[in-house]
Amino acid sequence: MSAVTGKAAAAAAATSPPVRGARGVRGDGIPPGAGGSGGSPPRAIARWRKKLYRDRTLIVMTVPAAVLLLIFGYAPMLGLVMAFQNYDLYDGILHSPWAGFSNFQQLFTDPGFWQAFRNTVELFSVQLVISFPVPIALAILLDSVLSRRLRAFIQSVVTLPHFFSMVMVITIFNQVLGGAGLLDTFLRTHGVTNPPQIMTNPGLFKFLISGQLVWKEAGWGMIVYLAALAAISPSLYEAAAVDGANWRQRTWRITLPGLRPIMVLLLILNLGYALTFGFEQMLIQLSAVGPSAAQVITTFSYENGIVHGNYSYGAAAGLFLGVTSVILILAANKVAHLLGEDGLYRNRK
Amino acid sequence: MDLEASAGVPARQLTRRGFLGAAAGTAGAIASAPLLAACGSSPPVKTGSTGASQLAKVLPAYIPHNLSGISPDFASINGSEPGYLSYPATLVHTVSDIPGSGGSYTGTAPYWGSIPRTSGNTYYQALNQALGATLNLAPTNGNLIITSLPPLFAGHKLPDWIDVPTWAQPPGFGQAIQTQLADLTPYLAGDKIKDYPNLAAISTSGWQQGVWNGRIYGLPAVVQAFTVGVYLFYRADILQKLGLGTPSIKSAADLLALGKEVNDPKSKRWAFDDIWSYLYQPFGIPAGAGTTAGWTTNSKGDLITTYETENIIEAMNWERQLFQQGLVNPDSVAGTSSTAKNRFWAGEMVFTSDGPGAWNYADAISGTAANKGYVRMAVPFFTGSGSGTPTMPLGSPTGYLSYFNKDLKPDQIKELLRIANYLAAPFGSYEYTLVNYGAANVDYTMTSSGPVLTATGQKDVDAAAAILLISPNNVISNPGYPSVTTSSAQFAQQNAKYAYKPLFYAMNITVPNNLTTANAFGPFTNPTNNIMYEVVRGRSTIADYQSTVNEWLRNGGTKLKAFYETIRAKYGTA
Repeated sequence: MSAVTGKAAAAAAATSPPVRGARGVRGDGIPPGAGGSGGSPPRAIARWRKKLYRDRTLIVMTVPAAVLLLIFGYAPMLGLVMAFQNYDLYDGILHSPWAGFSNFQQLFTDPGFWQAFRNTVELFSVQLVISFPVPIALAILLDSVLSRRLRAFIQSVVTLPHFFSMVMVITIFNQVLGGAGLLDTFLRTHGVTNPPQIMTNPGLFKFLISGQLVWKEAGWGMIVYLAALAAISPSLYEAAAVDGANWRQRTWRITLPGLRPIMVLLLILNLGYALTFGFEQMLIQLSAVGPSAAQVITTFSYENGIVHGNYSYGAAAGLFLGVTSVILILAANKVAHLLGEDGLYRNRK
Repeated sequence: MDLEASAGVPARQLTRRGFLGAAAGTAGAIASAPLLAACGSSPPVKTGSTGASQLAKVLPAYIPHNLSGISPDFASINGSEPGYLSYPATLVHTVSDIPGSGGSYTGTAPYWGSIPRTSGNTYYQALNQALGATLNLAPTNGNLIITSLPPLFAGHKLPDWIDVPTWAQPPGFGQAIQTQLADLTPYLAGDKIKDYPNLAAISTSGWQQGVWNGRIYGLPAVVQAFTVGVYLFYRADILQKLGLGTPSIKSAADLLALGKEVNDPKSKRWAFDDIWSYLYQPFGIPAGAGTTAGWTTNSKGDLITTYETENIIEAMNWERQLFQQGLVNPDSVAGTSSTAKNRFWAGEMVFTSDGPGAWNYADAISGTAANKGYVRMAVPFFTGSGSGTPTMPLGSPTGYLSYFNKDLKPDQIKELLRIANYLAAPFGSYEYTLVNYGAANVDYTMTSSGPVLTATGQKDVDAAAAILLISPNNVISNPGYPSVTTSSAQFAQQNAKYAYKPLFYAMNITVPNNLTTANAFGPFTNPTNNIMYEVVRGRSTIADYQSTVNEWLRNGGTKLKAFYETIRAKYGTA
């Protein structure tokens, strides 16, 4: 079990099966227990230097990404101070008057904000339950297809929508499911006077967006699982087959446990996006179903901050969102550790 | 390229963003701050407003043109735009010298459409040669300008000449005016404008909108006296085909009845677009979409907003029926306004609300392509009840003002003003033709119905940016499509008498920072999900609406009203 765990986790990072990876589970080549506490400071520094030297190639490889992240991810966070100011466009961050927590006070008493918060949680949860298992099922299904050519073809087809923009996806959905779309036009010409108008039904919205996400992203999400599947040793299946396990038992006892670490990892990462999810998707469809169904925290922040020019208020909503997301990730990671999974990183004893 | 076409593109934008514009147009100020900017130690003056007496001191003289050979076929009546059926055969010159003295300037204006090439562009070459200066026009995406302007001001990165639509003014714009934009009063006030005769021929109401804190800053473009945010258009050809002739709509009930008659979802034809933006007219709601502000007075004479009137509730209750009875095109129900014109062209809805600028030759081309025999007509103004005289609140005289960068030297300002004078040449003049159609025989050829763009011209001519920086008073002209001009010009002639100036007409008012949110009227103006939008679709109730109003009042609305009372007391309402 633990061997499979290590393999699949690595499979998330690289598609080559890590079975042959010589460097052990942690990938650092240092025996477990050697790092961390213990040892005098000079020795610790020396060890740290040694590690640095050993990993130089990897470090150089991550530098561009780290620089990007610093410039476009972390540096703009300095602007979050405006959440504690009455930001004035012309005075700038340096000269705008301080406002303490008044923006947050206003935020937490704003029913519009809580509506957005509830919607965010609800839409995300429904979407997660519906769309999370689909790529897994798809991967298992595709893995059982023997013809290589057919596999490649199906994979291309289901992956393609990932490259469409959300605007296009929603337009396509509207052409098919909208009030003037294929389905309703068909129903109308066949005597149905009140066709369902799925695109403008607030009650169905959570399922609609889940459907859109499944259509757009399931094929793409499948790729990682396919890689993980490839990492499961065929000998396990052979042994199980010899022992008389049927298809369902093999799936349940071998395939799914093999995929579990990657599922947990992706689930945690997904939770990190819980509050920021679907900005574009919601913004485009806000007018179709109304804010009671589609207003989420990101669109709330955009509307108040950017559109209405109340930058401080928008920043306050944004900061709330960021902090909550971090808490969510850490909590989910903790739960994963408690369940004995690796989560985002291996828990050191 | 034609004025109507250029004004027509943003027309829908204006209707959708109207209140947003109105809101942004009144951004950031301290009412009690002194008008004079001279006192060095006092805090920066942020008020945008100007009283009548100060206005009279600074407003430029108005000297209309009287050019021989250019007289309109449809004269202006009650401020309606003059209409021209033909283009003058001989082009009159209105500028004798080359305006520029070799300077090089950058200018930006919003633009809707694909941006033409910059290098080797025959239109820019012709324009710059005629101007004797280099004007580097950088069009910016009109759909994003509300969000792209604030960073330019925040970063002090303004071009030499910048178009700031009234509906896209950054919050606290009154402040930027003083610190970042050039005061043009010394060059244009009173009779000084006579140095620039084409600028002097722009209507006074347009200049009034360019006055901030008692000084002239803005140059008005596409000015109209009879500015109406929205018309109620219908497909005359479809009604004709259904044997309904020319509709006689005298009340909201008439409109509903006719709507039911033409509604036929089975053959993919619905009666209505979401015509909310038009209902301000029949229901007498005190301010139409795209006007300066939605203010009126109650029976006690106190200021109230549009949103506190009974009329708006009546209008919501009426439009809700259209949605309930399935008379609205499903895509309009879904709020996909970007394709509204396509639905109208395709005959998927019979009635639509759109800016008057939508009534032009480009529309006729697109409509005819979708439907042979396509005819767009507008419903004459009427009252919801069917009794009394219809009214139509005027919109701001222009949605587009341009400003000069404060860093320019006086000589540069003068050069740019001479260039502006060239760009503002009246319809049918030599300069107008060059600005709108480029170089003769390169970008356009002159035909009996007027200039027609060549293949090169269609690629290169980008008059919209120049037009939105500065242009003469708007006229109606659709070369090759006289019937469009006739119907739209006659409509304006007949209906302009119903127009009235709402409170704070053409006034610049900037609210203090702490009222920015209230002044954005967010719950009422969000383009995607305002409360009226929700009520008419049956997703919210009138009770919800009323609680939204109360909440707005609690969250700064009451303070905002008090602020506007001080403005009214100090500067008047027009």
